[in-house]
Amino acid sequence: MNRQGGTAPEAGSAVERYLAEITALLPGPPRARAGIVAELRSGLLDATDAHRSAGLPPAQAALAAIREFGDPARVAAGFKAEVAAGHARRVAISLLATGPLVGLLWVATALSSHLGVRAAPWQWAGQSPGLRVGICLVAVAVGITAWAAVLGIATTGRLSRWLPARPRRAPTAAAVAGFGAVGADGLGLLLLATQLATTSGKLSPIPAAAAAAASLARLTLARRAARRCLAIRASLT
Amino acid sequence: MRAETLKGHLDGILLAVLEPGPRHGYAIMEALRIRSGGQVDLPTGTVYPALHRLERAGLVRATWSAAGGRRRRVYQLTPAGRRALDSERTTWRDFSAAVTALLQPAPPAASSP
Repeated sequence: MNRQGGTAPEAGSAVERYLAEITALLPGPPRARAGIVAELRSGLLDATDAHRSAGLPPAQAALAAIREFGDPARVAAGFKAEVAAGHARRVAISLLATGPLVGLLWVATALSSHLGVRAAPWQWAGQSPGLRVGICLVAVAVGITAWAAVLGIATTGRLSRWLPARPRRAPTAAAVAGFGAVGADGLGLLLLATQLATTSGKLSPIPAAAAAAASLARLTLARRAARRCLAIRASLT
Repeated sequence: MRAETLKGHLDGILLAVLEPGPRHGYAIMEALRIRSGGQVDLPTGTVYPALHRLERAGLVRATWSAAGGRRRRVYQLTPAGRRALDSERTTWRDFSAAVTALLQPAPPAASSP
């Protein structure tokens, strides 16, 4: 390992074993863990260097550095809340950013599909009670998603300094936002399917296909992200 | 000094250590030890999550730097971090002045009825 910069291999492997113990205890996506482990590694190597300058042989210096860093379970526990907050924040931000884009595609679908209909926009949905109820449900799901995502972003940023530390708050909010998005996109697709079955001639195919593809992609990603948030939440004690 | 004793003050202490200029994690730990005359000796591994929390709160900014052939994450105070340090200082001065006054041996009661 060239990274060790002259440290004996057995010393380096003790450091790597220690880091592997911490990695195994960290929740969240591998990308988030990689940054933490890289930072801890450079710190451990700095500590090893410091102990070598103080006169310890390489292997003992590495062991002294590991002792100095402390119990792996304790180090991992300190990072768990940070990983949870970071992941929740990213999920909430991406849901809030993609929501309006997907929404615009659906609005475009509705507008272009009803160009031929001589009725005011608020009367389109009135043509079918099922569609009207469906659109109301989508609006509720969108509202829940937006509210939970804003909460997730607000409580993991600058505001976090002033709030009592509750590590489960952010992953819970992000999971609610994720499942809200799954609901909104799922309902949108369901409404599209019923419209296709009943009034297929009126739908303009290109915006409808784009909206459906966007919703399907968002639904898949939001579901995965929400599940991961729940898993991270469960790992916090 | 144990971690439990420092609880609630670690944020302010870390901000104070970063006040003179940017430092990486291990240099922060060494500065903690030196500036406290060896009194503060936390498990080094617990300082990193605290730094990440400060970063998320916008009080420090972290950048990867590769000076000296080793990649290190270097932390520096943000303007919000400087303001937070100032308010931590004021709070601590008021608190410690009050506790010092309270912990002083009280003068014997001169005239009790």
